[in-house]
Amino acid sequence: MKLPILPTTVIGSYSMPEWLERAKNDYLSRRLSRRDLDEMHDAVRKAAIKDQEAAGIDIITDGELQRDNMIDYFTERLPGVQVDLGSKRFYYDFYETSVRSKLATGSLGLTDEVRFLRKYSEHPAKVSVSGPHTLVKRIRNQYYPSEEAFAFDLGRALNFELKELARNGATELQIDEPYYSGFPEDLPWAVKAVNAAVEGVDAHVTLHICYGNRYGKPSFEGSYRYLFPTILEAKVHALSLEFARRGEEDLQLFKEFKAPFTLGLGVIDVKTQEIEPPALVADRIRRALEVVPAERLVINPDCGCVHLPRDVAFNKLVAMVEGTRMVRAELAK
Amino acid sequence: MIVHINHISLKGKSAKKSSLGELASIVTGSLVNLVEGGQLDARIAPSLRVHLDWIQYKTNFRDPVIVRRTTDARGKALALAEVAIDLRQCNSAELPLQLEHAIKQVNPNSTENDGRFYLDEYRPYRECLIWDFNKLFWRFLGEWEAASGRGFEAALPTGQSDANRPDAVNDSVVEFWKLLKELEAKGQLPAELPILEIGVGAGTRAAAWIDGFKAHDDAAGTGYYDRLQFILGDYSPDTLARACASLGRHKEHIVPAPLDALNPFKALSQYRFKVMYVHLTNVYDNLPFDDLIRRDGKLYLVEVRAYLSAAAVERLTADFGIEKSDLKGTMARLLEGGPHAALPGGRGVSFWRCFWDYFRLEERLRALDDREESHVPPSLSWSHLEDLLQEAPEDVRFHISRGAAESFANTLPLLHPRGYLQVQDIFVEEMDEYRKGFKGPGKLDGSLVTWVNGALLRAVGARAGYDVHFRPFAFRPGSKTTVMYTTQKP
Repeated sequence: MKLPILPTTVIGSYSMPEWLERAKNDYLSRRLSRRDLDEMHDAVRKAAIKDQEAAGIDIITDGELQRDNMIDYFTERLPGVQVDLGSKRFYYDFYETSVRSKLATGSLGLTDEVRFLRKYSEHPAKVSVSGPHTLVKRIRNQYYPSEEAFAFDLGRALNFELKELARNGATELQIDEPYYSGFPEDLPWAVKAVNAAVEGVDAHVTLHICYGNRYGKPSFEGSYRYLFPTILEAKVHALSLEFARRGEEDLQLFKEFKAPFTLGLGVIDVKTQEIEPPALVADRIRRALEVVPAERLVINPDCGCVHLPRDVAFNKLVAMVEGTRMVRAELAK
Repeated sequence: MIVHINHISLKGKSAKKSSLGELASIVTGSLVNLVEGGQLDARIAPSLRVHLDWIQYKTNFRDPVIVRRTTDARGKALALAEVAIDLRQCNSAELPLQLEHAIKQVNPNSTENDGRFYLDEYRPYRECLIWDFNKLFWRFLGEWEAASGRGFEAALPTGQSDANRPDAVNDSVVEFWKLLKELEAKGQLPAELPILEIGVGAGTRAAAWIDGFKAHDDAAGTGYYDRLQFILGDYSPDTLARACASLGRHKEHIVPAPLDALNPFKALSQYRFKVMYVHLTNVYDNLPFDDLIRRDGKLYLVEVRAYLSAAAVERLTADFGIEKSDLKGTMARLLEGGPHAALPGGRGVSFWRCFWDYFRLEERLRALDDREESHVPPSLSWSHLEDLLQEAPEDVRFHISRGAAESFANTLPLLHPRGYLQVQDIFVEEMDEYRKGFKGPGKLDGSLVTWVNGALLRAVGARAGYDVHFRPFAFRPGSKTTVMYTTQKP
């Protein structure tokens, strides 16, 4: 399927139903079997795919609703990370995790997500992974001499998985790094770790950097200025950034630093339930077009829709697509 | 029958013998006599529950001995009944007769009501008349205080409020300043520093806080004061005007904000994720609540019906020259237009004060339909209640502090990612505490107070990404005040 100009996508997660939250908690307290929970996960992933298609999204995901959160899904799979499975009762909390020896290289099993997407949709699809910096900030390091060394090795471990994903047909990959904004001083080594993760990966890679979306609220505040110029060293194709909630002021940084990336433009505020009018979305895109050419612009929400009620998430995506179509029509004239 | 002893105060071996033991033995002895004498239906006796309370508020909304009957969700009478005894109000001479009288009302078909004059229908606590009287009190506070000859703080059970203690204010200032210093060190200090106090009263605490902050900032040479925006939040424009007037020296930094304490976000949405610090003192304990009771695994909502005793009606009609048939009308005029609308001159305030003194609530327990959403506070869901019930004892009466929960849930979205909320109030921190004592409502001089369900607020906070903590108020020995504060969940 050929992508239109200004392709639309999501950041990753789709609306988490309250009943699924309860089921996940029930699983943690051993009141629900893994098999039953997996069946529920498959059902909501199919529904998430259908919702995105119905909303008109060009590049979809599976909604990531099988993931408890952006950390545990990976720490449970990373060989060499020790997880205290009794350390949480609420699914969205984080497990206590630690690393006490060098990480082994092995599959994280994310290729199942590619197969699932291929099975249930013909749309271009994207799979995302949490980045090395984000994982370093949540796993207690009891082995590596520094966070930097740990991150670099995580980059190596993720690299194996990203190559596997590409080999299995994934064309769109995304690395999520929401913790950059809280630890700007880490950026030089954090970017190197991302570069280790993407080296030799044959797919279009987006680096998503936001200000956090835990429980539907930001974890940090500030300006994206801290990213520049260091981020220019990132060997990724696209940067996906949060603008809808924070305003477009930082767009100028792309111009100021002549950033070569495609820009994933956040036009939907996922931290409010108000539905943006399509005209507002269109206006946000037009302002971005003053800085970045249409060929290097992808339209997406600020972050994942996991904390939004389903109807709100769906209607926001519909508004995003409608607003994008308005601008496409203008560009076609 | 089951006797629940809901309060035991540990006094030590050497302490003077309490009268509670004597009263408790009178209760059990009298009940056995009533069963043996056939006055208590043997079919009801096995499931009858008797609660021995000791209510810390000298005045409250209960008679010394009350009966709570139960109904199904549609109001049809059920057999389950409870007798509740406020041992603090009882005396040993009258107790056996009061019990005998109460037992007559236990029968679901009993029409015995002691000639009570009902002012309203049965309603959940959140909708009952006490809230109209509460509003009246804050609206006409000056007139009540003039009539009582003392300020409302002096009329509190402890005779003082913990709101404005200088050492507590200073502690808060230093804590906040340290946060700013830390943010500055990371290059993350916002250009503007909005902070919010909800329920500002005369502005005394706000003034002390800003004075203290400016002094600390000046001494450290950090220049944070220049960025400060102190948002004064209160529902009353008159109160805000008075508070602002007392803060003239800081007027460049003051933002008055008329707001509903139940939904601060509504009025302040432009501050979403920007407020660095929110403070409230004794706001939550004066917001609407409901009471739920769990008996034998089933949930009941406590419904109340306001009434005056026959003796109270006699005195009110005689003292104020009002016909009994006009009592409700006079009350309605009082609540609508204030004391002068009820009766001319100073008699209006006198009537109000007497009426409040006589004002009582009768309780009944209405079985809840599963997942009846109307009883879940706005911004919450049944899953919050289920979280709460999981940690609650099987047999318990507890508050759903719906006003506090709603206010809390609608304040959190204002917080900056590093911001925090602090509440000085009286909290029940764990559900188990509800088994150990009566937690309100208590009747204050003109107003009311109820302990706040801290465990509920913890559940609300957790869903919004905040850990909720409690620490004792360390600035007045013996204070029942607790400081609740939030930290961001990892």
